[in-house]
Amino acid sequence: MIPLGIVFLLMLLLKNSALLPFANLDQGTSLALGFILVFAYLVGNNLKRLNLPQITGFIIAGILCGPYILNFVSESDVNDLQLFDGLALSLIALTAGGEMKIDRLRRQLKTITSIVFFQMLMVLVGFLILGLIAQYFISFFGGMSLLQLFAFSLLLGTLMAPTSPATTIAVMTEIRSEGKFTDLILGSAVVKDFIVIVLFSFSLSFSKSVTAPSLNFDFRFLFHILSEVGGSILIGILIGSGIILYLKFIKKDVVIFILAVAFFSYQISHNYGYHPLLICLVAGFFAENFSSQGKLLISAIERSSVPIYVIFFAISGASLNLSALRHTWLLALVCVGLRGLLKFSGTFIGARLTGEGKEVQVLGWAGFLSQAGVALGMAIVIQDNFPDWGSEFMALVLAIIAINQIIGPVFLQRLLVKVKETGKKISLT
Amino acid sequence: MQAIYAFGLLILIAFLGAKFITKRTSISPVSYFFYSGFIYIFLGLSLGRSGLDILSSSILTGFTPLVGLGLGWVGFLFGFQLETKYLKRFPGKYISLSLLQFLFVFLSGGFVFSLVLKLFYPAEQVYLLYGMAAALGLLLSLNSPTLLSIASRIIPERGSYYYLARFLTSVSGFWGIVGLALLLSFWHFPFFESEVFLRGGSVLLFSTLFPIPLGFLFHFLTKKKTSEEQMLVYLLGLVFFVSGAAFYFNLPPLYLSMVLGITFSNLTKIHEKLYPLLLSTEKPLYIIFLILIGALWDVSLDYTVALLVVLMVALRILTYVLPLPIFKVVLDFPLYLPARFGLCFLSSGGIGVALAVSIKLAYPLPLTDIFLTIALFGILFTEFVSPWGLKFSVFQLDSEEKK
Repeated sequence: MIPLGIVFLLMLLLKNSALLPFANLDQGTSLALGFILVFAYLVGNNLKRLNLPQITGFIIAGILCGPYILNFVSESDVNDLQLFDGLALSLIALTAGGEMKIDRLRRQLKTITSIVFFQMLMVLVGFLILGLIAQYFISFFGGMSLLQLFAFSLLLGTLMAPTSPATTIAVMTEIRSEGKFTDLILGSAVVKDFIVIVLFSFSLSFSKSVTAPSLNFDFRFLFHILSEVGGSILIGILIGSGIILYLKFIKKDVVIFILAVAFFSYQISHNYGYHPLLICLVAGFFAENFSSQGKLLISAIERSSVPIYVIFFAISGASLNLSALRHTWLLALVCVGLRGLLKFSGTFIGARLTGEGKEVQVLGWAGFLSQAGVALGMAIVIQDNFPDWGSEFMALVLAIIAINQIIGPVFLQRLLVKVKETGKKISLT
Repeated sequence: MQAIYAFGLLILIAFLGAKFITKRTSISPVSYFFYSGFIYIFLGLSLGRSGLDILSSSILTGFTPLVGLGLGWVGFLFGFQLETKYLKRFPGKYISLSLLQFLFVFLSGGFVFSLVLKLFYPAEQVYLLYGMAAALGLLLSLNSPTLLSIASRIIPERGSYYYLARFLTSVSGFWGIVGLALLLSFWHFPFFESEVFLRGGSVLLFSTLFPIPLGFLFHFLTKKKTSEEQMLVYLLGLVFFVSGAAFYFNLPPLYLSMVLGITFSNLTKIHEKLYPLLLSTEKPLYIIFLILIGALWDVSLDYTVALLVVLMVALRILTYVLPLPIFKVVLDFPLYLPARFGLCFLSSGGIGVALAVSIKLAYPLPLTDIFLTIALFGILFTEFVSPWGLKFSVFQLDSEEKK
């Protein structure tokens, strides 16, 4: 706790109003990054002693230092750090792709498909029912027409379905887990991300057509999906092939090369509207499963993985909008509880139908609670498309993500500890 | 899309070039140029505003913390070498020689440049030109030990001159960075209108004191059993933090992180454990730093700038070669110091680039664009010819000593 106090006091000194006239406020990003890196890591270490995941500590530190509480990391700092955030996400996705071994996935394919299908079904239906019931109790829903309510609930359900692959892989890397549950949860999280991207395009197009009768159901969403998802997969395969060739023939300065690949993927997705997560997942998956270079790739990323995770999750904590939580905390808590319950029932049914044991049926759901980037990105699209209720929707989603992002890693770690899959993987560095 | 293909191609060329050229064991100007990493400045230049604009202004703004980290890293490395136990191994006259050499090069270089700059840029404010002259003088006073390190792998016999050269190149960084701190404190931007000495002194005091508790903290954190990844996070975080504080108050990140490095180095006992980590992390950071510097570089080359570059190279050779016989008499130096010995100080390496960039970032003025162009061309040129300088000095001196 003493180091934490020293870093905190020094930052307090630097941000003291007496020193503000001497400060170059446009140049605060480096300071914010340096502070959050040390501070978040120390908070994470302290939480680790309490048997909690380090990344929960990184997120909490980000929330504390972010624009809504201490403002050590201002809103403009958070925006300036998006590039680091994007790079970190690309590297995390490369790791996630590299961790997915085709032979192990094939063995679990039936279970993954079944769990993903029933989780999505339960969550979608559950949130539709919630919307219909809630109109009688919550004033926020009261002013909506039935169709608006339906569109709102469908979109909310779609956003509640995914599990964050980035958080999942970060927790798994931290506790070096390996085994059946690890593969099952990571595989399902990745597959769900694919499906949610497709489903979201459908739900958005559908909701727009039902809430604004002048707009017909727009089948062009299919073309968008094909170009976005298909393009991302294709680019991922190309990048994966590039990684294989580089690791096979050049092998020099691998860390720099991987950083350049992450930047390249981020730039392509940023400029041309592809999915950075998908591109890097596919690239990592391709390099791992279609060459013998996968280990080299993962070890290169592992060498710098801790600072990457600290930066990524601390920034994601700092970007969580706490004022949204203040206004919608009760409804958000209901949604988080319902989401957990629906994930439990979906996992239970999915696992039972494929003949999985009691452990997967009863405990599996705890690995699927985390929620981050994809849901947030979709909420922003919804806010832009539905000006009538988009901002309330956004506030609710932000509040739900804030809660899930804190409890998700804790539940996942507890699960992997309980099923004894931690500490099994040998570090490659 | 064309730009993206070009980007991929450039990366490939850079890596293939690095792979094949650094395999050579001789230190020819071309191979050293690749080995020292300066080719990445050109890669950055071709990716930046002056080239393909892939690293556009908005992206570069996002990467500013990495430039800060690069500067901080260079400062930390210099500070980390300055462990009193290590310094005590050398005779006191070595330190006196390094100080004399620094003062002579800085003062004479700064003086010549102040005259020439006033002649070439009569419309500019005189105090700005003096500041720029002082910065160029500081740049001349820095030299890099990288070339000597490479040479050590090639020369099997290493004599006293080699050790002296290594020592002088290592310590020159300390004097240069302290000089930079003095310059940036008393010539602080925005410029002080009154009480310059009091305010400048306060800035210098803050720059010196702020990193010290962080050095203690780093020691405290790594005192117990620490894994390599933990050490990496602490190291990156503290260097980021210190260089970030420097940027925030427009102080020199090189100086603050050097103080951090000195504090930590004199407290810790894990030098042996930290060096491999520093070395493995240094290269990626250094390459990224050089690429970003290249991208930030707004090349403003005209005949005046070209003449100043030539002057800088000439001053570099002359100020290191000419005064050595005088220093020998003044210090009653125990070693024979022939004139050509000064030729092994031609390379200013990464520390030179870092100092030039610090000046550019600290003073967002049109004049510092010119300064950066003079500095970078001057550094690149002397870097290119430095292997020849080394061959004329240490290599031949080694064989003389052997005889």
